Amino acid sequence: MTTDRGSSPRARTERTAKHGLLIVLSLFAVFPIVLTISTALKTDADVTVNPFGFFSSFSSENIVAAWVEGGFSDYVLNSFLISVPSTVLVVALSTMAGYAFARLPFPGRGVAFYLVMLGLLVPFFTYMIPLYFQLRSLGLLDTLLGVNLVLATTGLAFGIFFMRAFFSDLPTELEQAARIDGASEWQIFSRVMVPLVSSGAGALGVFTFLQNWNNFLVPLLYVPGGAYRPLTTGLYLFLGGRSIDIGPLAAGTLITILPVVVVFVLLQKQVTQGFLSGAVKG
Amino acid sequence: MTLGIPAAVTAAAEPPAARDRRHRPRRPALDTPRATRRAQTRLGIALVAPAMVLVVTFFLVPLVSAIYYAFVDFNGVNPNPSFVGLANFAELFQDAALWPALCNNAIWIVLGTAGPIVIGLVLALLMWGVGRSGALYRVAFFLPYVLPQVAVGVVWGWIYDPVRGWLNQALEIIGLGALRTGWLGNPDTALYAVLATAVWATSGFVFVILLAALRNVDTELVDASRLDGANTIQRLWFIVLPQIMPVFLMVTTITLVGGFSVFDIIFVMTGGGPAGASDVLGTVAYSEAFQLNRISYGTTIALVITLLAIPFAVCLNRLQRRLSLQGTGA
Repeated sequence: MTTDRGSSPRARTERTAKHGLLIVLSLFAVFPIVLTISTALKTDADVTVNPFGFFSSFSSENIVAAWVEGGFSDYVLNSFLISVPSTVLVVALSTMAGYAFARLPFPGRGVAFYLVMLGLLVPFFTYMIPLYFQLRSLGLLDTLLGVNLVLATTGLAFGIFFMRAFFSDLPTELEQAARIDGASEWQIFSRVMVPLVSSGAGALGVFTFLQNWNNFLVPLLYVPGGAYRPLTTGLYLFLGGRSIDIGPLAAGTLITILPVVVVFVLLQKQVTQGFLSGAVKG
Repeated sequence: MTLGIPAAVTAAAEPPAARDRRHRPRRPALDTPRATRRAQTRLGIALVAPAMVLVVTFFLVPLVSAIYYAFVDFNGVNPNPSFVGLANFAELFQDAALWPALCNNAIWIVLGTAGPIVIGLVLALLMWGVGRSGALYRVAFFLPYVLPQVAVGVVWGWIYDPVRGWLNQALEIIGLGALRTGWLGNPDTALYAVLATAVWATSGFVFVILLAALRNVDTELVDASRLDGANTIQRLWFIVLPQIMPVFLMVTTITLVGGFSVFDIIFVMTGGGPAGASDVLGTVAYSEAFQLNRISYGTTIALVITLLAIPFAVCLNRLQRRLSLQGTGA
């Protein structure tokens, strides 16, 4: 299977057939994305007659309509305000806690780790309703602070688990050598260990950013007022209110997925290799 | 062992941790000077504290509240709701809307797991041995998984459009015009239409994980079995699949358990409709709590989702761990 690379006619036909099949399947995978781009770029008149025909006209009017009248310019800004601080928080706190759980003995470490890992087992669903009332009583409902803290917490269980695995893999000799050289425990952590896991932290950052950007339920529940509405719930609202305006809706969808597609294509290595294949190799 | 999407990757990260546990003996504590140990303890607590504050405040406290809510009658307003014992749980059994939702969850779990696993495995096997030229395919197959589900729902809504949607037009072209329907508006097809969308979105995830696992398969063994006269199916079944079994089980657990807590895509595409035809426990819990203000009952349903999911997660995780231990001889 892996070694069918000979150049005998049969192998060559087989390879061509395989690539043909893969191309067809890839087209099927990207079809909805192409459909979004095509409809978003149509003229108003064309959308009314033929909303889903591929690339039958070109204009930027839908994009402008979504950006200006549809409020998507605000949504984009809010998506960044919601995803970026929470991602930074997840990466920083996971690196710190991951290191402590991997390499520093302290009383209660086992229990604390177990409680954090519980977050991987319990779906967000289970506690989302009480969390709503808790945020309300803390005055954090409808605030950027509240939504960022909640998003950060949902990412912490995985983040700590992930970073801890990286720190556990580092040899003990490193910290012993640094200690002999007179480094304090904090310096061992910040100067010796953290630089060694920067690739892991990067992968975690990219992954967490995508998760937070795509998150729908957290902003839907905890920023209901609309002042900090991000793209996901903004698009949902737009869908409910103006589902007949297919052109601007397509443009809004394009605006929502574009940053995700760009991040994914540029940082593919981090997204896939960083934690998927790297994680599976054991 | 995990639920939801972030959790998904968790299990993927499992092997390094497991490996760590098996091969690395605990650092001997005896040769560490006491001053060093004290400094380590202080730093350890300081480094863990901020994360613990968040976990306690925004996860553990609401989780305990959820259990409390299930035993009282809270409507979101009264500060001292009355204790009702098991009444919320008793109501579950009499709720006529709940059983169809549970059935839909079951359908979702079976088809929503089998679909991506089969498609992901086929894609991974096709891509196995495709060299550098495969990068583009990999991007294309994985892309649907990273897109926000709201956007996915919107676009597939157009594909399912009763009049001008691609699906109905395609059916017309291949002579199956009789099957044309409003896919999301028809109670018989709504759930399956959304499910198909979810399969489209999830297969890429399964694919990427299985492809990574295939890269570690011992190809000499595969070649040897070929020389011994094993055909493609036999090679796959007896040589390849056993080697990727732990990863295969892991990815099965993730998609299966995700099926219990499915919400976003159904909420966006049909809202559980028409007339509850595509409701799952998640959408019922949401509408009970946030539309009907039956906070306690909604929370109880959400708790049940977790209670149902955890045994599956634990069993499959155990099985997976045992298999991966066997593989390494540890």
